[in-house]
Amino acid sequence: MARGKLQATLAGLAAGLLGNGAQAADPAVSHVDTGILFYQELGGRVQAIEPELNGTLVFPDQHILTLGIVSDTLTGASPNGAVPSSKSQTFVTPAKPQGSSSVTSASGGTVVLPPPSGSGPGLLVRQYKVAPGATPLDPGFSDQRYAVNLGWAQPIDESRTASVSGTYSTEHDYRSISGSASIAQDLNSKNTTLNLAVNFESDLSQPIGGTPTPFTQMSGQLKGPNGSRTESDVVLGLTQIVNRYWILQLNYQYGYSNGYQNDPYRIISVVDPVSGNPMSYLYENRPKTRMKQSVYLENKIHIDDDIVDVSARYYRDSWGLSSTTLEVSDRSALTRDLYFEPLVRWYRQSAASFYRDYLVANQSLPQYASSDTRLGSFDAFTFGAKFGLAVGEGSEISLRGEYYVQSGNQHPSNAIGQLAHQNLFPTLSAVGLMLGYSFDL
Amino acid sequence: MTNRFSACLRLRASGVALFLATGLIAGCDAIGPQPWDRDLMAQQRMQLNPYPVEAAADDHIYFSKEGSSGGRAFAGGGCGCN
Repeated sequence: MARGKLQATLAGLAAGLLGNGAQAADPAVSHVDTGILFYQELGGRVQAIEPELNGTLVFPDQHILTLGIVSDTLTGASPNGAVPSSKSQTFVTPAKPQGSSSVTSASGGTVVLPPPSGSGPGLLVRQYKVAPGATPLDPGFSDQRYAVNLGWAQPIDESRTASVSGTYSTEHDYRSISGSASIAQDLNSKNTTLNLAVNFESDLSQPIGGTPTPFTQMSGQLKGPNGSRTESDVVLGLTQIVNRYWILQLNYQYGYSNGYQNDPYRIISVVDPVSGNPMSYLYENRPKTRMKQSVYLENKIHIDDDIVDVSARYYRDSWGLSSTTLEVSDRSALTRDLYFEPLVRWYRQSAASFYRDYLVANQSLPQYASSDTRLGSFDAFTFGAKFGLAVGEGSEISLRGEYYVQSGNQHPSNAIGQLAHQNLFPTLSAVGLMLGYSFDL
Repeated sequence: MTNRFSACLRLRASGVALFLATGLIAGCDAIGPQPWDRDLMAQQRMQLNPYPVEAAADDHIYFSKEGSSGGRAFAGGGCGCN
């Protein structure tokens, strides 16, 4: 199941599109941004290729149409949520009979078995083995996602602009539809812009074999119906041109989601209370509601001929997860047409209240539990660098490389038995390379 | 008693937030360059999101690998399951 996201930035939703107000001072022109991202997680994990196109068409009277198209091709191996063991482990999961990447031996130990009795038509069972001491990865991960975004913006009067946009995203086991609307009010000779934006999203999770009942045993059996969720967000934003050299943006975002929020493929190990050996694997269970809040501040400052961008975000939600993000980049002109832009990002996250590395067999089940490390406590760094070259009026080609590393507590002090010798939070390292080309129409 | 105390705190917090927001907007009125001094702001490289494709790709990766989302943009469009 792929992950996706289309941009619906305040800057893009409102005044920035229209070229007036504090977010964009120059007259907007029709413009196209294209790029292709090559992303690879080290250790044979997820690989992605993502071409993307973003077009802005400016009509008379500053009416603006935007179109975004994304395609995602993902393959590789993804953690299934189980803990490593000193013994070999075997996992089973439903599989598609045709066109499935599960019929592969590339990762070793993956076989497709006949459907179990009681399974629905067209369903097989995929079995894969994990070596002793290895992080359990599901080697059958493969997906193709397509997404399209359409937006429209126009002035209401001299100082106000409005915009709407819609997004549709589909992959074989997930579908998402969302709509946004925003209004921007210019103040203070257009040095200040206030934004109000709302977004509503409706998602449908339709995993292979259906959605499992939480805390039931992992199996290849046919499971429950599709799961749906909705999310509503509102953003209040302030954009301020502080002086000739400095612009800042301050956003407050509130979001509320309701519905099916589990990862239908994610399991959690139940281990022996003494030896720590896995005894069974249960499907995870997350709360059905989530309330999120964040504050985001971005500063862009012109220093000599450099442009320094400093941003920070604080996030917290009702799952008990909170995070702090800091990011700095410095765009420096090497020649009249060539620039270099290094980037550093630091991210620290505390765990959701129901995050567990594993469950213990002789203890009662908690109300919720997930071993998804994305809900755990960790630090992450991104180091990146970009070269951009102007190749004509309004045209630019660019090459950007990034290295991302995420590390958590690999050996918790309270690990039971053999788990004390296992790596319970394997470091995630990934490299990304992006080629970009943008031009005015 | 606790509910009344909480309600009182919420009311005060709302009042303080309103006061700060009013003050912030009023304060903003006093800052900012004259229109003829916005030459740098008019440059594409000074826009807050000059490269939307890159920003989308970044947010895409972080959305899939971390527990937080949003801030700069609305999150969504996929499940983030791997």
